[in-house]
Amino acid sequence: MSALASRTPPAHVLIVGGGGTGGALAHDLTLRGVKVTLVERAEVTSGTTGRHHGLLHSGARYVVGDQESAIECIEENAILRRICPGSFEENDGLFVAITDEDMAYVEPFLKGCADCGIPTQTLSPDEALRLEPLLNPDLKAAVRIPDATMDAMRMPLRFFATAKHGGAEIHSYMEVKDLIVHDRVVSGAVVHDHVTDRQGEVHADVVVNATGPWSEQIASMAGVDVPIRLSPGVLVALRGRLCNMVINRMHRSGDGDIVVPQRALSIVGTSSWTVDDPDDLGVPQDHVQRMYEEGAKLIPAVKQAEFRAAWSAARPLIGSRDQADTGRELSRTFKTYDHMETDGVEGFVTITGGKGTTLRGMAELCANVICAKLGIDAECRTRETVLLPHEAYYAG
Amino acid sequence: MSDATRPDGIPGAAERAARGPVLRKGLGPSPTGWFDPRGRAIGSWAFAVNRITGLGLVFYLYLHLGVLTLLLVGESAWNDFLEIATTTVFLGLDVLLLFGILFHGLNGVRVALVGTGVVPNRQMALFMAGTVIGTITLIYGAIHIFGSR
Amino acid sequence: MRTSDETPTGATEAMETRRFRVFRFKRADRAPHFDEFDVPVTARTTLFDAMRWIQFNRDPSLALRHSCLHASCGTCGVRANGREVLMCVTAVHDLGREITVEPVANIPILTDLVVDMGEFYARFPEAHPLVRESGFNPEAEAPEGMAAYQRYEDCIECGLCLSACPVVATTDRYVGPGALAWAQRILEEPRDEDVRGVHDWADDPDGAWRCHAAFECTEACPSNVNPAARIMQLRGTLAGPRLTRGEAPG
Repeated sequence: MSALASRTPPAHVLIVGGGGTGGALAHDLTLRGVKVTLVERAEVTSGTTGRHHGLLHSGARYVVGDQESAIECIEENAILRRICPGSFEENDGLFVAITDEDMAYVEPFLKGCADCGIPTQTLSPDEALRLEPLLNPDLKAAVRIPDATMDAMRMPLRFFATAKHGGAEIHSYMEVKDLIVHDRVVSGAVVHDHVTDRQGEVHADVVVNATGPWSEQIASMAGVDVPIRLSPGVLVALRGRLCNMVINRMHRSGDGDIVVPQRALSIVGTSSWTVDDPDDLGVPQDHVQRMYEEGAKLIPAVKQAEFRAAWSAARPLIGSRDQADTGRELSRTFKTYDHMETDGVEGFVTITGGKGTTLRGMAELCANVICAKLGIDAECRTRETVLLPHEAYYAG
Repeated sequence: MSDATRPDGIPGAAERAARGPVLRKGLGPSPTGWFDPRGRAIGSWAFAVNRITGLGLVFYLYLHLGVLTLLLVGESAWNDFLEIATTTVFLGLDVLLLFGILFHGLNGVRVALVGTGVVPNRQMALFMAGTVIGTITLIYGAIHIFGSR
Repeated sequence: MRTSDETPTGATEAMETRRFRVFRFKRADRAPHFDEFDVPVTARTTLFDAMRWIQFNRDPSLALRHSCLHASCGTCGVRANGREVLMCVTAVHDLGREITVEPVANIPILTDLVVDMGEFYARFPEAHPLVRESGFNPEAEAPEGMAAYQRYEDCIECGLCLSACPVVATTDRYVGPGALAWAQRILEEPRDEDVRGVHDWADDPDGAWRCHAAFECTEACPSNVNPAARIMQLRGTLAGPRLTRGEAPG
């Protein structure tokens, strides 16, 4: 047991990073009676979380080759529908086979889904076209899976809203400039407030690094290293709602193999490369072109659709720098690092990896580690607690 | 490095919590409100001109009533007024008045039809129709007003 | 942080420079001021790219609000040369040689280009659902293979309508186009809820009756909500029963 055993007044945790993970963690810890302060340098979810296409994963994408991720996804999929009612377009998704190679993938796909507990329904091309008339008419088969669509910002915002009303302090436009470290103990952070242009110190019993792609930058302030690999991807938004279900390509994983409806837009994604600087991702034009080409194989109307936006977002993947070239090979699962155990630095925890769908599960894992450190005996209650609506974040 | 912090460490928390300044419409922080159609679309112009013509028509009404009281004074007072009333400038103002009546009336019909939910989606068509009718009537009226000298 | 002064979308394309006058305000300041920046841009540079470039290459204290970067979250609303736009989908090329960038109007400013959306949400009387069945959406037709599908409302809660409305500019009591458009959507599709509360809330001198049909909200809306038409439909819903039968509605 660490030197931070149970205390009065309640333990104070400082979360650095206002993405989905930070928000879900603030909510989990608040329910367990921990005093939480969260600081985010810009608007909440403005890092990677707010930028994804809005897919609530069924996990089917990972059933062949990364079953751990697939199982995490389908479990969190069900939990999120329960705790965030009304936050999803629950229209399911289709995995669509276009080529013979795709068809060869169908059997291992179906077996993988069965192994991971993901319900499937195989459809004939006609049935698929009656559901989605704009699909490639040459499709050979389709499998229906429980994907859903979310608003990538507003779903996580419900975690922030509930945490805030539970007593957590959420401060956006407050940037961590440095961590306060003495004798290998992290006791807080120096923060700069961009609203008042003032600087100050926030002290806490545990500081959590929940900054996703910026994890290494924050970790280095404590003198520790966090092995993450930055893997951005390009997404393209087109005018027109070309599908109502999420449309996936029936293959393992590749560029431009998903189309997600977002209100009156269609989002085609994604691609993958690696970078070093999370603030300098770029939007490679050849990747944008590839979205049109690959997306059109699923829905031909993609080719003529009017352009709305093209952008990129960085996935923070677990694993060291030496492995993997494009980033796809690394697991999409998540990890918590208690730096006392990994590096001999007290009072500092990093949570990283994961994807939008698993935010609650990541927070549970991390909160368990933090509570163990603090000697707090409280169970996780986030599986059952229905969250406040997102607009509650802005109230009072 | 600590600078005016509260016990919980958040710098300038009271200032942060206070309500910030509010910019009003128009370029820069000037409270010009509805009377600033810069950077606006045609709807705001129609709105602003409707208000101006409304005020103008009310002013005209009082003016008109005042002029009519000259009839109580006597025939020569009324004839003096008619001398002024037939000058070019006055006739020009008459045309301006006609514009005000037409714009306020026709735009008002548009606002009434759209504003009670009768034809909420056809307001541009109504605006165009009103513009056409108004322009033809204004030209016709201007010709007759000046032709009456 | 970026070390190079590259254009935001890559230096291989034809480059030129545009001047930006950016609104600045920190809470300790007596009054706001404008800072000028010359930014290298290409045909593809968005207003967001340009502001980001300033943040990373010229002034890290510039506060920006953004999240999705594709007109789905509605957080990056600003006024560029007096017109309400979303930064992430507005090409700098369409804005002219000198561009004045200010926060949206009629909502209290937090700092720089960031406004405090608490007041936008405060104009809604209660929590509002985001998703509804396709059957009530006039543009939506479910494909023959499905009875209905679920659909997010078009409104992305960006507040541009509130900024553009001339009536909101004159009073904080008017609830504004965003909230009224929502009220009309609720009355159109009650979703088994008792909507009398919403009906009475909208039927107020500072509610649906305060609108003066300037239609600026519809001009500014980046998401085809057409709030002005919805307010007019709402008025029809509120006034109709009174006019046709002389009865009180509801």
